[in-house]
Amino acid sequence: MTRTLSRRAALAAMTSAGVAFVGACRRGGDPGHAPGAQDTPRPGGNLLFAFDGAAVTQFALDPHKSAFAPHHRIMRSIFDSLVVARPGHRFGPWLARSWEMSPDARSYTFHLRDDVTFHDGTRFDAAAVKENLDRIANPKNALFALSDLGPYEAADVVDPLTVRVRFSAGFAPFLINLSKTSLGIHSPKALREFGDRVEDHPTGTGPFRLRSTTPGTEVALERNPDYRWAPEGAAHDGPAWLERLTFRNVPEESTRVAVLRSGQAAGADLVPPQNLLELRASPEFRVLEAELLNHNYSLFFNTNRAPWNDAKLREAFRLSLDLDAAVKTVYLGTFSRAWSPLSPSIFGYDRSLEGSWAPDRESARRSLDALGWTPGPDGVRVKDGKRLSVVIPDSQGNREKRLDLLTLLRHQLRESGFDVRIESQSGGTLLAKIGAGDFDVLAASQFAPDPDVLRRIYTPLVRSQFSVAKVDDAELNRILGSASEEAEPAARAQLYAQAQRRIVAQTYAIPAYVLLYNLVTASRARDVAIDLHGFPTFHGAWLAS
Amino acid sequence: MIRRIASRAAASLAVVFGAVTLIFLILNWLPGDPAALIAGEGASAATIAQLRAQLGTDRPLILQYRDYLLGLLHGDLGRSYATHQPVLERLAAQLPSTVWLTLGATAVAVVVGVSLGVVAAMQNDRWIDRTIQTLALVVASIPSFWLGLLLILVFSVKLRWFPVIGDGSASAAVLPVACLGVVASVPLLRMVKSGILEGLHDPYVVTLRAKGLGAPRTLLVHVLRNALMATVTLVSVLVGELLSGAVVIETLFARQGIGRITVEAIGQKDLPVVQGAILLASIAYVVANLVVDVSYAIVDPRTRLRSATVSR
Repeated sequence: MTRTLSRRAALAAMTSAGVAFVGACRRGGDPGHAPGAQDTPRPGGNLLFAFDGAAVTQFALDPHKSAFAPHHRIMRSIFDSLVVARPGHRFGPWLARSWEMSPDARSYTFHLRDDVTFHDGTRFDAAAVKENLDRIANPKNALFALSDLGPYEAADVVDPLTVRVRFSAGFAPFLINLSKTSLGIHSPKALREFGDRVEDHPTGTGPFRLRSTTPGTEVALERNPDYRWAPEGAAHDGPAWLERLTFRNVPEESTRVAVLRSGQAAGADLVPPQNLLELRASPEFRVLEAELLNHNYSLFFNTNRAPWNDAKLREAFRLSLDLDAAVKTVYLGTFSRAWSPLSPSIFGYDRSLEGSWAPDRESARRSLDALGWTPGPDGVRVKDGKRLSVVIPDSQGNREKRLDLLTLLRHQLRESGFDVRIESQSGGTLLAKIGAGDFDVLAASQFAPDPDVLRRIYTPLVRSQFSVAKVDDAELNRILGSASEEAEPAARAQLYAQAQRRIVAQTYAIPAYVLLYNLVTASRARDVAIDLHGFPTFHGAWLAS
Repeated sequence: MIRRIASRAAASLAVVFGAVTLIFLILNWLPGDPAALIAGEGASAATIAQLRAQLGTDRPLILQYRDYLLGLLHGDLGRSYATHQPVLERLAAQLPSTVWLTLGATAVAVVVGVSLGVVAAMQNDRWIDRTIQTLALVVASIPSFWLGLLLILVFSVKLRWFPVIGDGSASAAVLPVACLGVVASVPLLRMVKSGILEGLHDPYVVTLRAKGLGAPRTLLVHVLRNALMATVTLVSVLVGELLSGAVVIETLFARQGIGRITVEAIGQKDLPVVQGAILLASIAYVVANLVVDVSYAIVDPRTRLRSATVSR
């Protein structure tokens, strides 16, 4: 099952920092196998998986380019990474057998497996790794994964199976970023052959290869019969059990549940809370839930603009919220409320923030009075003739029941005299408003496995003008800058704890809930799993007869 | 007839040109940067700037418009901003699904609407008529989305007669086509019924009956034919409505479709794709109108006579 770690252990554990891994995987009762049902994996079969691909009609299967989580859920089965993230903030070997990091985190050397081939028959080697990283690092290619490479300088092919990656400054998040699909390794031959249309010809080394796509509705994969380089922790080393794996985009949540209940699909993801409760109780289904490593869905204040540049007002806003009640009402106990901008399983998560703030309407009121915001005739507070209105633009509709949540919060805020308006609009309009800083509060999340996501969001140097956060805090910039360069795990965790506390203390953003990615399988589909980042894996999955 | 078609075609070309120009202006006037939308949340400023240059959206509008029109003259609809794929290819991949759904639903709407309309007229104010009217009211009042869900729950989850989502078989099309068609049949039903009831009072009906023609034959052969004139016009309007109303059903049943692609492209400001879809819609509109013209001639001999007189 698990291969021994030996000499790699020390290196792999470099980011563990003694912070306990938070048990993210909650499993609903063991699959209701009938007694005597077969329990040993059986090869063959086609597993139909109904996934939430949203209204998107094109599957851009280029791991370096796509910023869209549903695409990465498919690509995880097609592309392998150099390393795999393991519990306890460790890393295990995958396409790289072992690696060394220089003490200043400016250089990483990887020793690669010698028996790996891409789906097109090309051999995997150091040159392939270099070609992939250079492609991503080239700003001309305008790839999303560019920000995963940090201060990338170059990759040197030391010998055919050894590659050294150099950075112009220390870059501690590199290993965790490498374990993401976004730094997955594409066949260099496919990259050259297909150019900017390579997204139609994803060619990795993964346990499944592309069979066909039907734009907007289906991506059909088939087993890679040569596969024998599963990552550490995989259920087995050989080719996947499933003969075929078909992802069907079913954007409507009720339809995903129906397709599962009718028996047409063997699995479905992102099942809404009300159905989740019911399916959990049923012996015919198995519910898997795991934390999606991310910057929690949070309300970001436009700190550039009055009156939200006033920390006291932001705090009064937060004191008016009863997040426990709101999250419980909307998600029926399937999600827990958040305390930090980071989701709990991310390295450096600061546990001390839990329970550190609570609703207190009375002190919110006093604080607003002191700031000069006095109740007007309709209960909305007014200062210098201006109403205390809060515009929250949104473009994603009720995804993850976010509008339901915002609506509840709106009622809570109203009691303190905030007049909240939620304005739905197209993505383009919203983006223009974000770029121009024309909003009061914005709510968003960002999937990311590393606390470096804080630097990408909260420091002006790295983010684009379209980032939801407008914070520019010299102290925070300093903390997050040094954290990304800090190689020593304990010191790094310390810096991130400081950063989280500062973001909460200054109320730059109000984290709302911890998202659990969920998938439900019918009892005939066995051993579908969710990886540490929160993405589904099918290498060990099989279909019972 | 030929001159009529030629002038129609010229007018259609003007309509298409106008639509394309208008959409170009509207989309550019709407806020939002396609490059930033394509790059995705959290993309760096450098990535976005590079994309802008690649897409050419950093050039003056007039140049972008000129290049688009020039391409169009060569039959080149351009490439999608988001996927670099030729627009024609992208739309063509989705077209069959939408066409079958629309045609199927239209057929269901016509069969259900006309037959129930006739029955309701014959049984006017009796219990069968009242039942039909009540059902029609219910179907017209509930959102098609909800009706679709109901069909899925009953026929897929409970009875397991049809698959929920497409699996390549014809049976997968039954529920979406039925859902869309039944909703669209309501206005047809009402129009056929009122058309027949009005027609029954026309003098020619009295003449026919006086000559000894039976009531069913009078109704089915003569009155219905008159009532269908207005219905044919309604069907042409309906086809357009179905094309747009299909988006909801396509999403619910996880089907491919031009509607879904267009909605997505508008959100992304993927101009070439939106333009292509508008072009396609204009063409579909023109074709539907031509078909209606021809059907008029079949249903109503007077049209044929009139045009024959004109062309002479």
